[in-house]
Amino acid sequence: MDRRDFLKYSGLISAAGFVPEMAFSATGRSPEKIVVLVELKGGNDGFNTLVPYMDDAYKKLRPTLKIDERKVLKLGQGDMGMHPRLQQLMKIWEQGDMAWVQGIGYPRGVLSHFRSMDIWDSGSNANQFLDDGWLTHVLPRVKQGLHGISVSNDGGSLGPLHSARLNSVSMQSPHMFVKQSKSIKNITPVNSTPALAHLTQTQNQLYEVGLQLREKMTRSLRNQKRSRSKGVLGHSLESVAQMIIAGIDSPVYKVTQGGFDMHSGQVGRHNNVLYQVDHALSRFANTMKQNGLWDKVVVVTYSEFGRRAAENRGGGTDHGTASAQFVMGGGIRGGLYGRHPNMNQLDANGNVAHTTDFRQVYATLAQRIWRQNQHPWQGHQTIPFI
Amino acid sequence: MGKLGLFKARHLVSRTSIGAEWETIQRYKNLNMRDAIIHTLNAVNYETPRMPQTSAWSKTLGNRNSMARQRNMQRMAKTEGKAIQNWWANHMLTTKSPFLERMTLFWHNHFPSNIDGTKQPSALLEQNQTLRRHALGNYGNLLFAISKDPAMLLYLDGYKNVKEDPNENFARELLELFTLGGTHYYSERDIKEAARAFTGWSIDDRTGKYRFRPELHDRGIKTFMGKRGNFTGEDILKILLKHPRTAETIAEKMWSEFINTSRPNPGYTRQWAQIFRNSNYDIKTLLMAVLGSDAFWHPSNMGGLIKSPVELTIGTMRALPYRLRTNNLSHNLSLMGQSLFAHPSVKGWDGGESWISTQSLMRRSGILTNLTRGNLRKTNDARMMQHMPNCSDEELITWLLPVTPLNPLPTEPGRQRLVRALVLDPAYQVS
Repeated sequence: MDRRDFLKYSGLISAAGFVPEMAFSATGRSPEKIVVLVELKGGNDGFNTLVPYMDDAYKKLRPTLKIDERKVLKLGQGDMGMHPRLQQLMKIWEQGDMAWVQGIGYPRGVLSHFRSMDIWDSGSNANQFLDDGWLTHVLPRVKQGLHGISVSNDGGSLGPLHSARLNSVSMQSPHMFVKQSKSIKNITPVNSTPALAHLTQTQNQLYEVGLQLREKMTRSLRNQKRSRSKGVLGHSLESVAQMIIAGIDSPVYKVTQGGFDMHSGQVGRHNNVLYQVDHALSRFANTMKQNGLWDKVVVVTYSEFGRRAAENRGGGTDHGTASAQFVMGGGIRGGLYGRHPNMNQLDANGNVAHTTDFRQVYATLAQRIWRQNQHPWQGHQTIPFI
Repeated sequence: MGKLGLFKARHLVSRTSIGAEWETIQRYKNLNMRDAIIHTLNAVNYETPRMPQTSAWSKTLGNRNSMARQRNMQRMAKTEGKAIQNWWANHMLTTKSPFLERMTLFWHNHFPSNIDGTKQPSALLEQNQTLRRHALGNYGNLLFAISKDPAMLLYLDGYKNVKEDPNENFARELLELFTLGGTHYYSERDIKEAARAFTGWSIDDRTGKYRFRPELHDRGIKTFMGKRGNFTGEDILKILLKHPRTAETIAEKMWSEFINTSRPNPGYTRQWAQIFRNSNYDIKTLLMAVLGSDAFWHPSNMGGLIKSPVELTIGTMRALPYRLRTNNLSHNLSLMGQSLFAHPSVKGWDGGESWISTQSLMRRSGILTNLTRGNLRKTNDARMMQHMPNCSDEELITWLLPVTPLNPLPTEPGRQRLVRALVLDPAYQVS
């Protein structure tokens, strides 16, 4: 199915409000669409990423941090612009493959990193505690076998992929994974205690995924050229690209860029992390394009919260609520979605009200990418970026 | 109360020591439960080996305040950081008081401060001694000591918290992680007001110790947790210690440390919290309740915990005559996700099931394979056997595994082969 057909098809479905039960792809085959989740850890400052450079309130609240109209990369829509370090991504915007979602957050935003990330990971309300990652409610019905791979330097958390009902693995890189999983024996999962159930299930997944990676990637890993990517995110996304090209049947990948918690000295640090994001994601996009896979991938960024509207005295910003995130890929309908938050109306903590619920993005992915109408976010309107 | 016997003695030792040492189990199996717990709580020695050289605060202050010399700071923190990591890992390996170290590690995870965030290994060593000193003492005293601890003042920006520009970082984590727990029991306003009360808590330039700077302290009226007054930081801590949630937070952490990986059962943790508060936060009284509870001894909880990297690696080396070829113990701990003095965040290590991911499981299996490799060679046989208990195969299995092995046992005879198979069995990874 090409891009236009896909759009038409998904449009049809939402009009009819009905989706046929369909097997997405059998184990072993590469999925039709691949979602790459990019976690921006620490709470990214949305106002200095997607910049409301004409907003008087913005300029007033951020006397030293505001990004000047002359420097900002203007989108040509809604008086919004991208941070000057997002130069390569600007090209993707110009090609119409990038959608910005503005004012994304949730009611009664929690300002704790951990708690708010749990809320994003599980898709819960502010006062609701859910154990499973939000993808648990979609992926098991989409396909069997492997559901997701998290790539990070420290083999970190699975986040949205965390669940006993998902087959998800974490790794540093496919190279290390293939090397280290060689000696792992298969095991039938047991249920004697939750601890042993988790352990044996993980070992079983490790074995299965190791098998698939060895089968599909041994040659490409042997011929691997020296990496030219920079930084943790660059390396992680290079790994993801390798696995997508090799036809690993994971429908979701998760990568992480840390370092967004900037209570002081924000300018230089934010420049640096956004440069990392720009470099890593534009390289990833180019690799996908070169391999004819750009229409297949959907890159989605997220962060536990945004920053406070006003800068603090240390030249930084404290924990906030709504932020801006983006979605990109060959099948994405580029543009600005949602409303820029009203920076004149702040709550008692100095935070803006969100205008888009983050679960609208989940509902959109569930319905328009995975074609599932049964999911927990049906009360949330989809966003027509795809 | 009857004698514990081998099975129960190994359960107590494997969960309170670092590694289930055969000698300790032999001593405990002839004691009743209460006496064994009392012995565990009281047989402690607070001595530590000589500490590595670290640069004092007065020496690093110049670099800290200079943008140009940040690289020097980084280099110093990295080198000295490695030294203190090795120091503690080696102490855990050789200590005669493993329970004390285990509890010091427990509090290190409750009150984390790390190398990256402080860039002051000397202060982390001091904090480590403070944690050890209070590990089996009084939680109120520990909370006061840590709130004024220089490493904590650095890690959560307390030393930057001044009247003119209050910094919420410490106040937020104090409420969310150290006392009330979660985000339910207080408001953003409470955090801000608490931060004001802690203004002026600082570090002395010369000594590197805690120092109150009255000129930086906000003396105004604060409203905190429904109370009004010109509160000081001490007042905030006292109010928090009066709140029932503080004891519950600790009791819930005890559940995850000693009972199982599931959510804490409030039927137990509320009762423990009550006992803890009634004892005015005496940690040994709380531990007595936890270790003496039927939850702790229930057969369904045997094998209900996942061994931390410290337990898995150092525990194996303490209980069995296996050694790493090179002294890279603390590096190995990092690879498995438990880098000492380097928690991933102020929340500490999540522990429990999150110790096991596909990534960490490869590392865990890898190190156990490394440890047990080579010792199968004939030449090592006699020396190895000297350090093995003289017992039946059945006793050996009971000793090393909390549940029956998941893999089939080796068909070829040989004690070393059997021990290796048991250590590499998935059941060895749980406690």
